[in-house]
Amino acid sequence: MGGAGASVGCSDSPFGFDTPAFLQFGSTDKPLAPFSAPDHSEICAVSHCLNRLTFGAVPGDYDRVSALHADKDQAADAFIKQQLDPESIDDTLAERATQRFEYLQHTPGDLYNFTIDGLLDEMLSFTVIRATKSKRQLQEVMVHFWTDHFNIDSSKGDCRWLTAAHDRDVIRRHAMGSFPELLKATAKSPAMLWYLDGRVNTKTKNDDKPNENYARELLELHTLGVNGGYTQTDVMEAARALTGWGVKDGLFGRGEPEFQKKHHDHGEKKILGHTIPAGAGHDDMDRLLDIVSLHPSTANYIATKLCARFIDDAPPTAAVTAVSKEFLASGGDIRKTLLALFQTNAFREQRGNKFKRPFHYIVSALRTTGGTTDSKEPLLKFLHRMGHAPFHYPTPDGYPEEATPWLSTIPWRWNFAIRYARNELKGTQCDSKALERLASVGGIEKAGLMPWLLGRLATADELEAWHACPDGDRLALLLGSPAFQLF
Amino acid sequence: MPETKVTTVVSENRDRDQTLVVVFLRGGADGLNLVAPVGDDDYFGARPTIGISSRSAVMLDDFFGLNPLMVDLAPLYKEGIMSVVHCVGSEDQTRSHFEAQDMMDHGGTVAGGWLGRYLLATQPADGQRSPLSAVAIGSRLPENLRGAPSAAAMRSIKDFSLGENTDKVRDLLGQLYAASPTETLRTSGRSSVAVLKRIAELTSAQYAASNGASYEDDEFSSGMREIAQLIKGRVGLEAAAIDLNGWDSHLTQPAVMDPEIRRLNAGLSAFCKDLGKAMERTTVVVMTEFGRRVRENSALGTDHGRGSVMFVLGGGHRGGTIHAQWPGLNAESLVGPGDLPVLTNYRNVLTPLLKKISPDVDLSAVFPEFALDPLPLFG
Repeated sequence: MGGAGASVGCSDSPFGFDTPAFLQFGSTDKPLAPFSAPDHSEICAVSHCLNRLTFGAVPGDYDRVSALHADKDQAADAFIKQQLDPESIDDTLAERATQRFEYLQHTPGDLYNFTIDGLLDEMLSFTVIRATKSKRQLQEVMVHFWTDHFNIDSSKGDCRWLTAAHDRDVIRRHAMGSFPELLKATAKSPAMLWYLDGRVNTKTKNDDKPNENYARELLELHTLGVNGGYTQTDVMEAARALTGWGVKDGLFGRGEPEFQKKHHDHGEKKILGHTIPAGAGHDDMDRLLDIVSLHPSTANYIATKLCARFIDDAPPTAAVTAVSKEFLASGGDIRKTLLALFQTNAFREQRGNKFKRPFHYIVSALRTTGGTTDSKEPLLKFLHRMGHAPFHYPTPDGYPEEATPWLSTIPWRWNFAIRYARNELKGTQCDSKALERLASVGGIEKAGLMPWLLGRLATADELEAWHACPDGDRLALLLGSPAFQLF
Repeated sequence: MPETKVTTVVSENRDRDQTLVVVFLRGGADGLNLVAPVGDDDYFGARPTIGISSRSAVMLDDFFGLNPLMVDLAPLYKEGIMSVVHCVGSEDQTRSHFEAQDMMDHGGTVAGGWLGRYLLATQPADGQRSPLSAVAIGSRLPENLRGAPSAAAMRSIKDFSLGENTDKVRDLLGQLYAASPTETLRTSGRSSVAVLKRIAELTSAQYAASNGASYEDDEFSSGMREIAQLIKGRVGLEAAAIDLNGWDSHLTQPAVMDPEIRRLNAGLSAFCKDLGKAMERTTVVVMTEFGRRVRENSALGTDHGRGSVMFVLGGGHRGGTIHAQWPGLNAESLVGPGDLPVLTNYRNVLTPLLKKISPDVDLSAVFPEFALDPLPLFG
């Protein structure tokens, strides 16, 4: 996987969008060469790991991963190891493709100078392009996982501006790091202080009641989980410990977190059997987060959610237990926890049983077909129509992971597939003919475009539909098919 | 297309046939000139030039008269299909369009739009809901629909179509889903084909309005026509949002507002006529971010105020009523720089409508952090 030097065919444009479409395949960095597709009737270990750890394999990925070892299982293991070490993967091209997003360079205070719609559109475009182009795919998948886990809706108050900083400085920075550090960063994130009302959780008079909103979601959604064994008293005590944190306004440091001693409740707090002594002030927050971030209920809750993302909507207990154990043993190390998950039998055995959410669906369609996109309105409107535009989910539980709420989006997926495959989406293209040609080594049905998109050899039903399908709509048929909705 | 011919529903396990249509008059519509308190002498004292005269007003009762340009709505009021809420608005006192619209669309400083949260709160457990459950007329979703489980901005019903010559690929996709080993995919595939076929039917012929209704050519009327078509086509539409912009009448108010009032009158009246009996399962609510200053300004316009009007049509509610405790227009009754007070919060107009459509909905999830006191719109 070469670096920037290999960018043959890229123009002077840092984004490369003006080069012919077929030279710009997904996150590959050179013109597309013939590539092979899976040749098993069942999803093999390599396809399975590409499915689960990425937003879809780009042309050539299957060859690249298969080449890591003669044995498919060991090749998959080597791929997992690479993806768990994102710093070792050169991501220059993704960096370059996203350089134009000016907001990424600005301090939280400067972000307030952007227009609301302008900033939000940039954030959406950036998110799609990054997920499409990055070679650090597992990191991107985890960014989306934590974005939902620590959900912010960018329509509430100053979240309109501060969500951009939250995504960049909190979620992306810690997505593959340590859970306790990530949790601490989210607690002080100005967008979070706005979204869950931490900024108005103050105690200035004796009879002031704390605002419990963040404290409750911290326990219910961010750490212990709803049945995690906390009580209403724990929520109230946690809220007391968090009093005084707000977001700076005014000329200097606007949009930065601040702690105001005079708004803090300085008394002793008792939470989940622990005592935070009186007078710790500013440090109360970190002490509270230390109590909850590695609580056994937190381990179980995070493990359950991770297994739901990577194994099954209803993951088996044995896998959850193994992942939870490693979460605790590693002190919340996200990479070690993920490795433990990828080593469970359930992860290896349950293949092709997860339903792609709309964002995943769109990005995987772009990636597997080597498409290019400017990620503007004609593409983004499909995310809006399917109710899955990033930073738009109103409630703190984040977009659901399970299949059920997304089932009604299928007509839009077909609509997208047809328009995309017919190259009718302004700013978003693929070269389906070149793709067919290049992925047809050994005959189109046997080892070509069909198994490439389906991740396995086509079934009799799929072959029959393929032959009955008019020229020009075959790619749409594959992208709209049930198999392509699964991963 | 006579409604009786349409029998199938889009999703098999779902039979939601109620639709809420939200018309937002953006720019701060002058409630005092839409529904004028012609029985209050202070009204003419404050608006010697631009006031609606008792001679021209279409009287609704012995005190309030409709703007004469809204004459086609008067029969709807008389027949009990439409009611009026006066002195209504939000708690926002900024008198800023942006702030006031934002607060009203979201229902306070809350994440998501109120309509989006309502749709989320009524999400069926089996996920079987029409992909056309929520639409907005226009190019971008308005903030009130933000957070809806799925919502499409559209200009025309054609936006939903798969395009030219797509029957074959659609049917092949249907076959593949029918052969899926996963039951939920089989069901979803069937409903997808059903909804797309319905859209193909609807777009194949020129739309003919029922009951002799005829729509004007402007954007608002065209949008209302598209909504009517979706409702009559029974595609599972539950919420539609449409904006009518341009109500900011600081100068020469009649020149600014009259064309808007004509559009509102024409669009709403054609819609109700076209839907006919289907208005029983269709609720239309018309709202605006704030009203205008009571006293006309030196440029014969009005400045940003507080209380305005809302209209409710259909949905089986008890129409023919004006919900208002008129405060009077003397100096002591007005608020701020001389504005009609807000005596009814807009949420208390919306919540009885939502409750009627979805009796089980948790209204505190739709409008959190507000002590609700729903208006008795259903008698």
